Amino acid sequence: MARNRTSPEDYSRPVRRILVGGLVVLLLALFLLWRIDSPRVERFRTALVDKVVPNFDWIMLPVTKASGMVDSFQSYSSLYGQNQELRRELQQMTVWKEAALRLEQQNARLLDLNHVRLDPKLTHITGVVLADSGSPFRQSVLLNVGARDGIQDGWAAMDGLGLVGRISGVGNRSARVILLTDSNSRIPVVIQPSGQKALASGDNSPAPPLEFIEKPDEVRPGDQVVTSGDGGVFPAGLLVGQVAQGKDKRLRVRLSADYERLEFLRVLRSHALEVLTDPGGLVAPPLPEPGAFGPMPIPGAGAGAEAGPSNG
Amino acid sequence: MVDPQQRALWAHRGLFVLLAALSIFARLLPLGAGSGGGLNDTTLMETIARLPGPDVLLCLILAWEQRRPEYLPALLIAAVVLMEDFLLMRPPGLWTALVLIAGEFLRNRAALTRELSFIAEWLLIAAVMTGMFLVYRVMFTVAFLPQPSFGFAMAQVLATILFYPLVVWLSHLALGVDKPAMGEVDAQGRRR
Repeated sequence: MARNRTSPEDYSRPVRRILVGGLVVLLLALFLLWRIDSPRVERFRTALVDKVVPNFDWIMLPVTKASGMVDSFQSYSSLYGQNQELRRELQQMTVWKEAALRLEQQNARLLDLNHVRLDPKLTHITGVVLADSGSPFRQSVLLNVGARDGIQDGWAAMDGLGLVGRISGVGNRSARVILLTDSNSRIPVVIQPSGQKALASGDNSPAPPLEFIEKPDEVRPGDQVVTSGDGGVFPAGLLVGQVAQGKDKRLRVRLSADYERLEFLRVLRSHALEVLTDPGGLVAPPLPEPGAFGPMPIPGAGAGAEAGPSNG
Repeated sequence: MVDPQQRALWAHRGLFVLLAALSIFARLLPLGAGSGGGLNDTTLMETIARLPGPDVLLCLILAWEQRRPEYLPALLIAAVVLMEDFLLMRPPGLWTALVLIAGEFLRNRAALTRELSFIAEWLLIAAVMTGMFLVYRVMFTVAFLPQPSFGFAMAQVLATILFYPLVVWLSHLALGVDKPAMGEVDAQGRRR
């Protein structure tokens, strides 16, 4: 392979090598920057996604519709069996409905007797799932509601039945929901009826395992899992799913939300919990004068700030 | 005056951007990577459905890089892959840098690979892809990032390697991206 070695390419080649090398260094610097100062780059990413993805609504719509049609067609083929099954379920549901009505009346009467005030702030915004960058590696979906609609980071997202995930990353027109199955998702839950607290931590499998259960013996497959509201991130009492035991004998949550078809998601407006900083004037002894000797009775942020100037 | 060669060049660049956009949005579509499904009743089909698909964009870049490197300037590759990085929630920059390096590696060996048979080329590509994947994982480990399980990630590499001949065949058949024939001249009138 005799090649002519005196072509102009020979002069441009080292220059090219330097330029491409510079580009690679720049890209690696971007990666480093992301690793060091992740929030800033992530904000840029959110802004980019916000600009790009909603514009592709028109291309996504037909494809989603078509896949929906394929799904429906598959279900038509097993229509008879499904019909029978539905009839049976309906029978059972009627029984349950009666029970539920009775319980509702009873509940209303009891609430009335006790003068219980329910939290009126728990309202929701419904968004449509725009895109799904669901690979086996990252489990998240993109909603078409964003900061424009008052969405904030950390709010809970549910489908009609159960918890789906939590908002993480809000653009102007879009918001990303990290699903419970994502490996970065950790949700404090409580298992009813035993009242055991646990952490549902996603591991990219369809059923997130339950960790840190104090007494696993008291938990049975089939128990209900609801959010506990610990840590103040999530409203308490949202249905997550049921306890199930996986093949590896670990306790997992079988999620109630239908992850197969996430179409509309309900984002719950949760408000920051009010933190009680008042020591409780009637119960605790009055605070000592600032600068007084001896240990502070309340080691809190407020006390520390007060003590600062008096020492200096 | 529009030179036909020049026109083919820009048409293919445009085509590349279009195909890249298609590949990215195919992955963004809310078809769901099947994260649902039962716990104990996972059939073989469901397991297969949950495996990651091939990285079509990577196939396309590596295939074209060996056939017509002039269709893919480094800046274009960097821009497209960086966009993919951002949209698919990957750490930005790292994969782009790897693709660029692999592309340069193949570009510098275009004269050599031109005379290879397809099987040899496929083996070379398989080696390059596996190398990229390993470096990617090593970088993740160095940066203390959480990473997906080895099996899943390897499945994607295998799928991409298996998909490569299809991309080559399609770009030969439909897009006319071939290795330069004997005696073909480029825009400056040089022999290729």
